[in-house]
Amino acid sequence: MKESDERPMIEAKNLRKRFAGKEALKGVSFEVKRGEILGLLGHNGAGKSTSLGILLGMVAPDSGEAAIDGLSVQASRSAALAKVGAIFESPGFYDYLSGWDNLKILTNYSGGVDEALLADVVERVEMTSRIRSRVGTYSHGMRQRLALAQALLPGPEVLLLDEPTDGLDPEGIKWFRDFILDLRAERGMTVLFNSHLLAEVEQMCDRVVILQQGEKVFEGRTGDLEDDHLKLKIDAGPPELVDKVLAEQGWLRQGERIVLPKEADAADFTSSVIQRGGWVREVSPVKRSLEDLYLEMSKGGGR
Amino acid sequence: MIFLKQFGSELRKLFGRRRTYVGYGVFLVFELILLITFQLQGVKERQMEFMEQNGLAADEYFSSLTVTFMVMAFSLFLLGSIYFALVSGDIVAKEVEDGNMRMVLARPVSRFRVLLLKFLAVCLYTITFVIFVGITGYAMAVVALGADGGMLAFSPKMKLFAVYPEWGPAMLRLAVAALLIGVSMCTISAVGFFFSCLKMKPATATIMALSVLFLDMVLQEFPIFKPYEANFVTYKMSTWLYAFEAPHFPWAKLADNFSFLIGLDLTLFAIGCVVFQLRDFKT
Repeated sequence: MKESDERPMIEAKNLRKRFAGKEALKGVSFEVKRGEILGLLGHNGAGKSTSLGILLGMVAPDSGEAAIDGLSVQASRSAALAKVGAIFESPGFYDYLSGWDNLKILTNYSGGVDEALLADVVERVEMTSRIRSRVGTYSHGMRQRLALAQALLPGPEVLLLDEPTDGLDPEGIKWFRDFILDLRAERGMTVLFNSHLLAEVEQMCDRVVILQQGEKVFEGRTGDLEDDHLKLKIDAGPPELVDKVLAEQGWLRQGERIVLPKEADAADFTSSVIQRGGWVREVSPVKRSLEDLYLEMSKGGGR
Repeated sequence: MIFLKQFGSELRKLFGRRRTYVGYGVFLVFELILLITFQLQGVKERQMEFMEQNGLAADEYFSSLTVTFMVMAFSLFLLGSIYFALVSGDIVAKEVEDGNMRMVLARPVSRFRVLLLKFLAVCLYTITFVIFVGITGYAMAVVALGADGGMLAFSPKMKLFAVYPEWGPAMLRLAVAALLIGVSMCTISAVGFFFSCLKMKPATATIMALSVLFLDMVLQEFPIFKPYEANFVTYKMSTWLYAFEAPHFPWAKLADNFSFLIGLDLTLFAIGCVVFQLRDFKT
């Protein structure tokens, strides 16, 4: 194996940054291996965009260093970014120009690309029919596809994605996710994916780094995040009977929700309540949110 | 080659805006209004009377060349300064505000180069705009007054009174003056560009640029500053009028004043670059 294959494609080393006296990053480090998709998960203000800004050389860290394929972004930004494509949550295009003109203008900053390659990428993101229209007339989904096209030109090895699926409809999100996964399969693309949506990261990423208030609170494989408990939302009564049944089964009540072991069967609860003269209007699974995850980590002291 | 491609992109952005052409349209209308004003009986009579008092044949010197000189001087300093400050105040700050700059800075290009391209684009735009005003002003004046006649160039403030009986030398001086006005106007653009590089809204950058130049213009009229008026920026910007000095072309005076203006432009560009270099760009 060559040394370049072993070297991490993206490296963030002990990044620290303060904005107006507030610490936005408190010594965050992570690595992304070649061909890996890493999810950077956290709420607004957790430090995701600051990390990405430092990786793109748009934000100067107070200390620490970011590197792309071994090249320091701080020391040799242009060389490091030559292999990078980036997408932002709200991509800022020149709305008064066509999608085609936007792509030409942006790629010229990377030295320009052949028009045939440009047309190929436009076709790949399914924008051929509208590429000559003004970007101002595009929907949010089309803007994101155009953003994807510009990120893929002239031919990056690394993609940095800052909440790219925000505001997209479910169909758009799926299209985007499949596209990125195909890219990785075809080209071995390395991807850093910023998101505040746990489900999104779980479906797309190999590994995840969770940031909370500028600190890394978790780093591991996405599978490690899998919940070992099932959570249900219940609407049943009377309350005394429900509490009694739950206590008998040894299940936990958290407000409107009940928490039970993964192997447990919710039907046991429903039948027990009904057999004893109670009623059950709703039993539905509850998806674990990022808040739940934070809560579990703070209870367990992180993983 | 890559630099030229990128410069082409910068011009495409600048000339892709509808507002750019609205500006050209506004100037054409303004020139037309000035031309009609100069043709109004009262105004025309005063001009002709002034010429005759100075021993000039008014019929010969109230010509398309003289009117072009007046149209350029009035329209560019009245409306041009506002317009150039508006365009240059937008050139960086608007892209930052709209998020375009993040897309550009995600590319392997240095911030210095991005700013250099923008600065050159705005300077080229300024100079070509002035030349456009000169050409259209002359074309309109020819339609109204015919191509014949000499030229009178005068400015009490700059102590200029120059007469050109022949079309050729007059047109040559007019062309050089247009180029020099373009370079002078680049100073307005440089001030706007400087503010545009700072962390402020595009409209604020424009207002700041105009305020600085307005202050400079007002201060030099204060009695206490009058002896030093030649050192003020807007005074130096008016030295394009020296291009009409006859019989010899005042190379030394022009070089002195314009090297100051170009030096100031470059200094503002350099400071703007340093400030921009130190800025963080984040969502």
